[in-house]
Amino acid sequence: MSSVPLAAYLMLALILFCIGLFGALTKRNAVIVLISIELMLNAVNINLVAFAKYSINPGMTGQIFSLFTITVAAAEAAVGLAILIALYRNRQTVNVDEMDTMKR
Amino acid sequence: MLQMSWLIPLFPLLSFILLLLFRKSKSESTAWIGVLLTGLSLVMSVGVCLAVWQGEGIKTEGTWFQIGERAITMGFEVNPLNALMLVIVSLVSFLVHLYSKGYMHGDERFGVFFAYLGLFSFAMLGLVLSPNLLQLYMFWELVGLGSFLLIGFYYFKPEAKAAAKKAFVMTRIGDVGLFIGMVLLFWQVGSFEYDEIFATVKNGDISDGMLTLTALCIFVGAVGKSGQLPLHTWLPDAMEGPTPVSALIHAATMVAAGVYLVAAMYPLFQASEAALTVVAVVGGLTAIFAASIGLMQKDIKRVLAYSTVSQLGYMMLALGASGYVAGIFHLTTHAFFKALLFLAAGSVIHAVHTQNIEEMGGLWKKLRLTGPLFLIGALAISGVPLLSGFFSKDEILASTYADGKYGLFWLAVIAAFMTAFYMFRLFFLVFTGEARQEKKDGQKDVHESPSVMTFPMIVLGVLAVVAGYLNTTWFGTFLSDYLARGPVELPHGDHHGPVWIPLVATLASLLGIGLAYLIYQRGTLSRDWITRSFPGLSDVIYNKWYIDEGYDQTVVKGTTGLSKLGALFDRYVVEGLVTAVTTGVQRLGRIGSRLQNGQVQSYGTAAIFGIVILLLIVALTGGYFS
Amino acid sequence: MTGEMIAFFLLALTAITGGVLLINLTNVVHMVVALIFTFIAIAGIYITLSAEFVAVVQVLIYSGAITIIMLFGIMLTRHQEKEKRAPRLKMMLTGLAIGLFFLIMYGKIKDLNFGQQDAGLHIDNTKKIGVELYSHYVIPFELTSVLLLVALIGSIILAKREDDEKEAKK
Repeated sequence: MSSVPLAAYLMLALILFCIGLFGALTKRNAVIVLISIELMLNAVNINLVAFAKYSINPGMTGQIFSLFTITVAAAEAAVGLAILIALYRNRQTVNVDEMDTMKR
Repeated sequence: MLQMSWLIPLFPLLSFILLLLFRKSKSESTAWIGVLLTGLSLVMSVGVCLAVWQGEGIKTEGTWFQIGERAITMGFEVNPLNALMLVIVSLVSFLVHLYSKGYMHGDERFGVFFAYLGLFSFAMLGLVLSPNLLQLYMFWELVGLGSFLLIGFYYFKPEAKAAAKKAFVMTRIGDVGLFIGMVLLFWQVGSFEYDEIFATVKNGDISDGMLTLTALCIFVGAVGKSGQLPLHTWLPDAMEGPTPVSALIHAATMVAAGVYLVAAMYPLFQASEAALTVVAVVGGLTAIFAASIGLMQKDIKRVLAYSTVSQLGYMMLALGASGYVAGIFHLTTHAFFKALLFLAAGSVIHAVHTQNIEEMGGLWKKLRLTGPLFLIGALAISGVPLLSGFFSKDEILASTYADGKYGLFWLAVIAAFMTAFYMFRLFFLVFTGEARQEKKDGQKDVHESPSVMTFPMIVLGVLAVVAGYLNTTWFGTFLSDYLARGPVELPHGDHHGPVWIPLVATLASLLGIGLAYLIYQRGTLSRDWITRSFPGLSDVIYNKWYIDEGYDQTVVKGTTGLSKLGALFDRYVVEGLVTAVTTGVQRLGRIGSRLQNGQVQSYGTAAIFGIVILLLIVALTGGYFS
Repeated sequence: MTGEMIAFFLLALTAITGGVLLINLTNVVHMVVALIFTFIAIAGIYITLSAEFVAVVQVLIYSGAITIIMLFGIMLTRHQEKEKRAPRLKMMLTGLAIGLFFLIMYGKIKDLNFGQQDAGLHIDNTKKIGVELYSHYVIPFELTSVLLLVALIGSIILAKREDDEKEAKK
């Protein structure tokens, strides 16, 4: 019997998710914003894996799903970085504040 | 003829419209349009008046619109009173048109002046023909507009502008009174018709208090228009307008509209003793008060203006003292001799280019026609026997005495003395003695006015002499017989009081003339012995009893203070509220625009807020998790 | 207190410390390095949750690949010495929203317990995953490969486009 309850894992995931969200919304450096998003994805992965072990219907599904998530996250990181570099070429900055093309 | 009498006001209106169209025309022959059309009015008016003289009046009306069960009508009415007024108005208007042709010669807005004259004549004739109060009120206001335009004709002069404004505002006070009276009458009677009002009054359907109140309200309108105390201050200022205007509007017609109004509504006044007394007292006080101011004025037109106010006071006094015929009689004669005086004064001003009587003098020899004509006018207004003013003034004094208002009677006698004095002071200063004006370089010699100007004066001069024989005890009381056929039941009783009254009146006027002769012609008495004997009093009189200053201190300052309060209220409360609203919206917009800054992070934050709110709702209401 | 409990606490502490450092450090490279700790700690958490294969993948992909990509991204672009903080108002608003979010979620999950656990997950973990992937999940698996290919080509095109345009202009 494990003595670590499900709630503890969920709590950890929640804390990490909040940290990632905060970073994604307040950091000015685009690279850090991307990393923060990775952190959020990680927090979700913790949830998936935790539910794979502790749930009404445990099984491998959660772990496999988290593998897919990691794959997608890697792809997202690659594409995100490509966009970042393209942007940097255009505007000579990675500062999110200055990327306000949507306003115009 | 009577059926066509509605055409009378339309001729001047046509003239107004035509002249407005031709106002750019440089040719001064446009004046003939106005002269011709008012001439047509005059011919028709005389015809109408003769028809009424021989037969009955006429009244034609059509429904204008309907309010519930009450019909508001429009139409025209001819009765002895307004037929007489028609003649007076159209005659004076015609003569003034003719006179202006010479007087306004060379003015830049020559055509416009005649257009305004046409508008005014239209309004005044329409006023006289009105069969009900509502229609009268409309023309009443139009008359005010015409007066405003003509007083302010020299709009580039600040005094003229101020005078026009003052006239408009002061008469407005009276108009509000008239309006209230009108509304009260409509409330009580349910109609604006004179006939129905008089019928209701006669049946005693209106309580005494209400009757007095409405009569007084209507009298307030008359006070405003006729320049009675205490709303008289606009009339002397109105002399800033061109002199023909003063003759037409501020001597013969518009200011007489107040008297006409009281006369037209006379049954209403008759029904209320209190109202009649008020009318008489106001009239009497105005008569002596304005005459006293006239003693000291230096501007030829202002003297005449105060004289007008004083004579209008006489008319009111007569009406108030049940001297209906006397009032109308004086209105008629006054229209002639005062218009004559104004036109003569205009002729003098035309010749010497100043209005200050101290700069005139010795004009008798130079103005061969104007001088004698002015003398006739002065004699007539002073009440020298055998001239028109004598008869009408005598009538007024007699009716006042017969009505038992002895105090007012003696006031009127004193006013008559003053009138004679200041008129002859004017005459002697202007026409006799040495020429006191300094001759400026290049100024033409003083010369007589052209014949278009002298002709109207001659006509008026003749009328000023003979108009008095309309109603005399010696040859017959044509006028009172004539007026007796009108809708107004004349007060009964013999108004031809004691024999000594004409003697007293004659004595007063001769005394005044004599005193003026001694002071200003012979120099037997020093010119300023009165001034020296009563320095305080003469100072007060010279400054017109400080009425204008009093108004400045009280009404004007009060209004200004109130307006300032209002301005403060507006600035800080109303504007504050408005500013609060606008800044609120602005702030909101600024916050919105700050959110809308094109940055993904801000949008993300907003989205998170949305999610949090949704989650909060779910969490608080239970929902999925519970 | 069991050993598992102690391991969990240590790992969780490391992960959260890494996250907090990410927020508070000013140098970009330091931030990324702080995050490596978090990723490795999360891999440890996976092991306590009997998911060895996922843990290994986590170390490979996150701690290895993604971190390296990020470092490349940092090196390829220019950065200020110190990162400027976002405006205070924005920080507070965002903090408020996230704090509320945290509180709500906390209130809901703190007592969540299904009372069951699969004790056999760690046995032949990798084999089970392989069997599942090539049988039950084979279509998503293949689709993922397509996705990766698309991401690869897309990234190259995105990053290269500028040069192509320049050449085209020449």
